[in-house]
Amino acid sequence: MSAMTSASTEVSEIDSSARGPISLLLAFALVWLVVSGALALLHFAQTLNPAFLADCAWLTYGRLRGLQETAFVYGWAGNAGVAIAVWLLGRLGGAALRSLNWLTVGALFWNLGVLLGLIGIARGDGSSTPFLRVPEYVQLLLLVAYAAMAIPGILAWTGRGRAQTFAAQWYAVAALFLFPWFFAAAQIVLVHFPVRGVVQAIGAVWYAQSLWNLWLASLALAAAYYLVPKLTGRVLPGYDFAAYGFWTLILVGGWIGGRHLVGGPVPAWVATIGIVSCQVLVFHYLIVAINLRGAFTGRGSTALSLVAYGVTAYLLGGLVDAVVSLRAIAVTTQFTWVTQAQTALALYGAFSLIAFGVIYFLVPRIANQPWPSAPLVRAHYAAALLGTGGLVLGLAVAGVIQGRGLLEAGLSFADIAARTRPWILVAAAGQAVLLAGNLVFLFHFARLLVKKPAVTAAELLRQPPTMEASVS
Amino acid sequence: MRNGFLFFIGLFCAAALSWAGVVLWPHLQMGSLVPYVDETEGKAYPLRLSGIAAQGQMVYDDLGCAACHTQQVRRPGFGSDKERGWGDRQTVARDYIYETHVQLGDSRLGPDLANVGGRKTPYDAEDLYKLLYAGSGAMPAYKFLFEQRSIADRQPSDYALALRGNLAPAPGTEVVPTMRARALVTYLLSLNHTFEYPEARPVEPTAENEGEAK
Repeated sequence: MSAMTSASTEVSEIDSSARGPISLLLAFALVWLVVSGALALLHFAQTLNPAFLADCAWLTYGRLRGLQETAFVYGWAGNAGVAIAVWLLGRLGGAALRSLNWLTVGALFWNLGVLLGLIGIARGDGSSTPFLRVPEYVQLLLLVAYAAMAIPGILAWTGRGRAQTFAAQWYAVAALFLFPWFFAAAQIVLVHFPVRGVVQAIGAVWYAQSLWNLWLASLALAAAYYLVPKLTGRVLPGYDFAAYGFWTLILVGGWIGGRHLVGGPVPAWVATIGIVSCQVLVFHYLIVAINLRGAFTGRGSTALSLVAYGVTAYLLGGLVDAVVSLRAIAVTTQFTWVTQAQTALALYGAFSLIAFGVIYFLVPRIANQPWPSAPLVRAHYAAALLGTGGLVLGLAVAGVIQGRGLLEAGLSFADIAARTRPWILVAAAGQAVLLAGNLVFLFHFARLLVKKPAVTAAELLRQPPTMEASVS
Repeated sequence: MRNGFLFFIGLFCAAALSWAGVVLWPHLQMGSLVPYVDETEGKAYPLRLSGIAAQGQMVYDDLGCAACHTQQVRRPGFGSDKERGWGDRQTVARDYIYETHVQLGDSRLGPDLANVGGRKTPYDAEDLYKLLYAGSGAMPAYKFLFEQRSIADRQPSDYALALRGNLAPAPGTEVVPTMRARALVTYLLSLNHTFEYPEARPVEPTAENEGEAK
């Protein structure tokens, strides 16, 4: 694979020391990714044919939506994000990771929690709160397991070898540190001591928005800020502004959830503050665009190309958010597939593509051997781009058609469903391509893990850890 | 960002600020909303859910009905909620103060249900049972909420569904809603946010506020 042969290849003790736990996290992540893809496909099948599996109480339409979302966010994104964050904090900290047993134990319990959560949702113990659907009895387990997983990352930050820090570290530490914070806060106000009436709905959108901006987006940005200078070999342009971009996201990120409640039974300021914050956040996207524009000029590396597409999706998502949040647009797009398209653009486009890129980069380094097959990499690459594009495009167009249909009071829901059907089929096809690509990825990763290292590139390509800092 | 401690404090405060602003502030503003006492009727609105309706809300929650149905009516002029007959006024915070798990929903693959129990052409329990049992064009059937049983050696149930045509059960059997189905239907029929609170009077779009209402 091209990323392997590029000049930046190097392996240090930092990577080999973390081999076991990080491989474990990534293996879990990829399995959940495939599981959530399969569930998402079933969900599309039910959208197209409501009678499909309708007799199965474990897989009602609503529960399937919760299942695929939970498997994706907590299974795939949680595992992969923590693995990436801990790995790059180790590298940028310039010392071997410590307390990795916490990562292993935490990962085992976290994934046990995800599994129990999915079973709980299927059984009917979950709730309809978006992104917080796991049953109450799993939430505390997930919280504690996550805190354990974050320990090596935080230790690598506090015990780092040099005083100077990098944007990749800020984002990674913020994600590791803040997730338990707002996960716990959301559990308290939504589950243990539920607030009254519609304040629950406000708390739910606050949680969902923090989950994206302060956790998953931060993890993806940490990876992008690490990988882009690394693979292009150039200093990030306008890097002095990176700190403003970072603090804008951290400060404003939690505020924009209220835009989903436009026209809802909440005080108008809740929605207004969300809309305004959405516009303020454009400043953050601008800085990210300036900093990471090098990603678009680099050539030849699959990892860099995936990151470039992921960053594009991230920026596009931000601009779409800013436009769609406006009341004049929201009146049409609210409650439609457009919302799902935005979620898909963020989760499948921005997060997953960047995560794929960084996984292609990091696995050869921790496993100390190259990816076994270049065609498999290309197949997954093509499937990821094509599938994500089809999924987002299909959902977005279906959403606009649905939104316009909803405004025509005389149009029945069956008619709206008939009009959106072709585009739902496009989205479902995209999801199927994604699933096929991710199966290839899982297979490829498994093959790399079980294969005996033929080349130990480490001894040949060893470079001092200080190399990590010099380019970012 | 050389000072690690300040960095953590900054992160903590940023998150705390958004929590305080987005969650705590509305809680202080609306968390102690009280029912509105209507002197002429001598009743306080909203009405409390009955015990079985509260159970029905749990069924609604765990089946994931909110994946397709919202329970919030937008104000007349903002969307076509009124024209679709979902409610004459927008829903307001006071409507929800007794709900243990508010189900605003974020997707409309099916109709809004905020007033399903108080529509002008009301559904009765029988209609809702049939809809749940047989489904409709865009809605799946929830047959597992019903029990088909023999009436060979027992009295037919009072709750048995009167099904005709190809839905009719085999002779000698009846289709009876389970406890969960009965709770769910009771809950749906209890959804009726039609009482006009002072803050809920509809703002009809006029020439002046046309632009704002768009």
